[in-house]
Amino acid sequence: MKPSQLRIDEKTGRYLPMIYPEEIPFWEGLKARKLLLQRCNACSKVWFPIGPMCPKCLSMEFTWVPMSGRGVVHNFVVYHKAWMPYLQQKVPYAVVQVELEEGPRMTTNMMDTPLEDIKIGMQVEALYEDVTDEITLLQFRAAKT
Amino acid sequence: MTELARAFRDKTAVCGVSNFVGSYPDRTALSLAGEAFKLALDDCGMHKDEIDGVICLSFGSDYDRLLEALGLNVRYAHQGWTHGRFISPTVQQAAMVVGMGMAKNVAIIHGKRRKPYGQPTDLEMWRQGLGPHGESPAYGALRPAFGAAIAAKRYFHMYGGGNEDLAPIAVAFRKHARLNPIAVRKEPMTLADHQKSPWIVDPLRLFDCCQINDGGSCLIVTSAERARDCKKPPVYISGMQGVHAGPEYHNLAMPGLGVAQQTVLKYVPKPEDLYAYEMAGVTQKDIDFLVTYDAFTPLILFALERFGFCGPGEAREFVHNGRIELGGELPINTSGGLLSEGHVTGWNLLVEVVRQLRHECGERQVKNAEIGQYACFLGESIIFRR
Repeated sequence: MKPSQLRIDEKTGRYLPMIYPEEIPFWEGLKARKLLLQRCNACSKVWFPIGPMCPKCLSMEFTWVPMSGRGVVHNFVVYHKAWMPYLQQKVPYAVVQVELEEGPRMTTNMMDTPLEDIKIGMQVEALYEDVTDEITLLQFRAAKT
Repeated sequence: MTELARAFRDKTAVCGVSNFVGSYPDRTALSLAGEAFKLALDDCGMHKDEIDGVICLSFGSDYDRLLEALGLNVRYAHQGWTHGRFISPTVQQAAMVVGMGMAKNVAIIHGKRRKPYGQPTDLEMWRQGLGPHGESPAYGALRPAFGAAIAAKRYFHMYGGGNEDLAPIAVAFRKHARLNPIAVRKEPMTLADHQKSPWIVDPLRLFDCCQINDGGSCLIVTSAERARDCKKPPVYISGMQGVHAGPEYHNLAMPGLGVAQQTVLKYVPKPEDLYAYEMAGVTQKDIDFLVTYDAFTPLILFALERFGFCGPGEAREFVHNGRIELGGELPINTSGGLLSEGHVTGWNLLVEVVRQLRHECGERQVKNAEIGQYACFLGESIIFRR
């Protein structure tokens, strides 16, 4: 996989994530249905957003390790205004911040979950949405257990 | 507090201001900036050649083109991200430049078009990590409203209440705007009107969000001594503190809400979080009126709790029943603020503090205003006095 600066997918009109060079293992992980985040080799901290060094001890030695994919909805909002044409078919839609079991919180959406079921504190699990041939997005849904 | 800070109190002042807001489709940012500068010179009675320091915005014209257009040579020029959360740090910088003798009279000049010519907008949300208000375009987390909405959601989750607690804020500022000849939004607004306005990003409705305008503004900062010889009464800079930043200080939130990677806790400011009061030698009780960055209504709740005007979770009840209106316990954003006066990327807020302390606000004048504070959710503040 290569870095990407494409902001809109021409086929769907959907906004794409910009893929920065040091984020590539994360995006390759998602394509392979794995949620990989950086863990510090020196102090074991796991962090997000992806960054060049451990924000706790500043070590630049880290390993991409799989997360469990389980977490809870820590926060969410519901968009009623579609700020781009692609989102007109999506409103109202939720943007959630999921707190992973491992600690970091990630901004994502919920799939396969009715809007009215989304609550702060609900258990969720990761799933993966292929948005282009190259790019897969992390998503979440209500935990099946 | 340092010896230097003790000596600095009330030694610098704002002597000239200008502000206009609206729609100027046929004018460039350079033209708006130039007019703002001219109006501020007129306001204080200085000749342009007395200005030996200029600070300007990093979009619109660059500093060199602006100075060329103004025919001005200065010994202190700075160009930066001098908008939004960085407006009061910009005034602080100007005061320190004057205090250190690096320039005598610093003009902070601002001209901005809502849609600039020849410059991309909206790219900041694709920066590495998340956008400056937590934006994540691929997930539809768009626009600064996202930051305010996720912060408000956590606030209501922790402390109770909901969107209806934001209505008195929008209504108060609209009442103030109706007393302000230049305000862009003056239609009457009731609490019910607010509650009928459409959802934008739940828990925020349309009337919880400001609009963006074209406009210009300028503040001239000088020594207290020079200010006393200007046309209008000096407005002294008494105390100040900077933008607090880092993972615990998410933009458009207050500490403790648990937005993005913030720790969840009931935030109460510590003495070191309130340095501006110490520097100015005053407390919250001495503040006659407050001006705060109100791009979105929840930011008022956050500012009130960040600066200890209210305890954790108490601001949402405080803002009801006219307490933040003119004549109330603590009038806030007496010009109508960004929500109703208009958004000159924030500068109009600081101009209002100066005008209130000069007692030139007519119908919206805070009676006997002596001390005014500009203070925001991220901790940046300036305490001014007349």
